[in-house]
Amino acid sequence: MSRRWLDLAPLGALVVAAAGALALAREAPGRLDPERAWCSPSGARPLGCGEAGVDLTALVASAELRVVVLAVSVALVGFALGTPLGAAAALARGRVERAVERACDLVQAFPSFILALVVLSAVRAPSRVHIGAVFALTAWAPFARLALSQTRVLRDAAFVEAAFALGRSRPAVVGLHVLPNLLAVVAVQLGSTAAAIVVSEAALGFVGLGPRGGVSLGAVLDQGVAAMLRAPHVLGVGAFAVAATSAAMLVAGRAAAARR
Amino acid sequence: MSVAPPRPRSHRAPIVARLLVGRAVEALVVVTALASLVFFALRMLPGDPARLVLGDEASAVELARVRALLHLDEPLVAQYARFLRGLLTLDLGDSFRRPGTAAMALVARALAPTARLAGVSVALGAAAGLLAAVLASGPWLSPRARGWIERILVGAAAAPLVAFAPVVTWCLAARARIVPLPGDPEAGAAGLLFASALLAVPLAAHVGRIARAALHDVERAPFLAVARAKGATPARVWILHALPSVAGPVVTVVAAQLGALLGGAVVLERMFERAGLGTLILEAYSTRDLPVLEGAVVAAGLLFVVAQALGTAAHAAIDPRARGSR
Repeated sequence: MSRRWLDLAPLGALVVAAAGALALAREAPGRLDPERAWCSPSGARPLGCGEAGVDLTALVASAELRVVVLAVSVALVGFALGTPLGAAAALARGRVERAVERACDLVQAFPSFILALVVLSAVRAPSRVHIGAVFALTAWAPFARLALSQTRVLRDAAFVEAAFALGRSRPAVVGLHVLPNLLAVVAVQLGSTAAAIVVSEAALGFVGLGPRGGVSLGAVLDQGVAAMLRAPHVLGVGAFAVAATSAAMLVAGRAAAARR
Repeated sequence: MSVAPPRPRSHRAPIVARLLVGRAVEALVVVTALASLVFFALRMLPGDPARLVLGDEASAVELARVRALLHLDEPLVAQYARFLRGLLTLDLGDSFRRPGTAAMALVARALAPTARLAGVSVALGAAAGLLAAVLASGPWLSPRARGWIERILVGAAAAPLVAFAPVVTWCLAARARIVPLPGDPEAGAAGLLFASALLAVPLAAHVGRIARAALHDVERAPFLAVARAKGATPARVWILHALPSVAGPVVTVVAAQLGALLGGAVVLERMFERAGLGTLILEAYSTRDLPVLEGAVVAAGLLFVVAQALGTAAHAAIDPRARGSR
C-alpha cells in the first residue's frame, strides 16, 4: 500500500465507522428519551447516552460526518480562492504583493473565533452553511501566503519568463504555468486548514453557537463538561471525537504532499 | 583599515518615529475595519435586527420602540457616524438588557479578568516553552530525553484546547482533586493559575518549537564558543548568551498566537463559567444586546492590536535588524 493511502486511512476509517454506526443506529441522532439520560455505554448503545437520553453513538456519528464535509468544503474553498490570489499577487509584485501579504498577516493573526461570533450574531439560528461561510472568510489566507512565497521563487524561472516573452497574459501565466507548479506544496495546507475547521466548529458548538439542531461535536463536549462528575464517559467521547477527527485531517493532508 | 562611522543617534529617531506612526495607523485601520464589520454585519445581513432582539412574536409597537432605541430608524450613514462617534467617545449607549448601565462600563469591567487570564497564560507559556527549548538544546539531558521533549512539543501544538482542557480538568480537579475547579468562586489565584496553565499549553508548544529551532541555528555560533572558552557554565552559555539572541522569533510567535489565545480565553471562560470578555460576548450574543456586543468585540480587537504593537516594539527593542526591515 502506498504512503498516500496510508495517510488517508485514518480519515477513511473514521468516515466508514461513522457511516456504519449511523446506518445501524435504531433511531434518529437527536431522539430524546429522558428515562435513559446519561446511561453508561452498553451493548445496545456502545457510547452510552447524553443529556435527555440522546444516543451518543448516533449523535457523534452524524456530527462526525457533517463536520468532515464542512471542513473539507471550507478547505477546498480556501484553496481555490487563496492559491490564485497569492500567485497573481506575487507575479504583480510591488504594492499589490505587499497589500496581499499584509492582508494575510492580519487575517491569520486576528482571532477568527471572535470574527465568527460577530458574523453569526447577525443570524438567529446559524446553519452549517453560515458557519462554513464564516470560516471561508479567513480560510483563504494561509493558502495565499504559501502561494505568495512559492511564486516568488518561480516568477524568475526561465519557463515563466518564456511564457511572458511569448505574449501570454498574466492570468494565463498564473493559470497555466505557475499554479500547476504550486499545487504539490500548497495542497499540504488542506489538511491543516481542515483540522483547524474541525476544532473551530467544535469550539463554536461548545459555546452555544453551533449549527441549529445541536448535532455537533462541540455540543457533545458541552454536555460532557456539564455532566463531568455524573457521566464522565460523555466528556471522553466528545474529546476523543474532536481530537481524532482533527488528527485524521492533519494526517490526510500529508497525502496531498505526495508527488503527483 | 577604514571603519564605517557609526550611524548618528539623531538618524535613529525618525526611523523609530516612522515605525511607531506606521504601527499606530495600522492598528487604527484594523480596529476601524473590525468595528465596521461588527456594525454592518448586524445591520446589513438579511434579517431585522429588532426582530433578532425581540423575537418573532414581538408586536409592531415593540419593534418600533427597539428600532428607535437602537437608532435603526435612521439612515445607515447616520447610524454609522453615530456608531463611530460613540466608539471615539467610549459611549455606545446603555446595555439593552440592563437599562441604566453603560455598555462600555460592562466591557471595561469584563476586560480586566480576561487580560489577567491572557497575561498569566503568556507568561506561563513563554516560560515553559523557553525551558523546554533550553532543555532540548543543552547538554543536561540524554539525546533520547531531548527527542521526547521535541515529540511532546509537537503533540501539544497539535492538541485542540477545546478537547484536552475539559479532560485535564476532569482528571486533576474532579478525580485527583489536586487543583481547584477554575470556575469555583473560592478557587482564587489557584483557579486563575490552573485556567491560565491550560490556555498556555498550545502557546508553550509553539514557543518551544520556534525557540528550539532558533537555538539549533545559533548553537555553533562563535559568540557561544567564546563564552565556553572563557569558562562559562552550560547554564550561563544557554540562558545568558544564547536565549537573548532568539528572543526576536519568540516575541513574534507570542504576538502571532494572541488571536488564538483570545479565542481560547472565550472557550475557557465558558467552560469554567469565569467572568470575562468571552462570557460577556456570549451573554450579549444570546440576548442580542447589540451595544454590549459591539463594544465587547471592538475591545477584544483593541486588546489584540495593542498586544501586537507591544510585541513588535519589544522585537524592535531587542533586535536592531527588526527596526531596519520595516
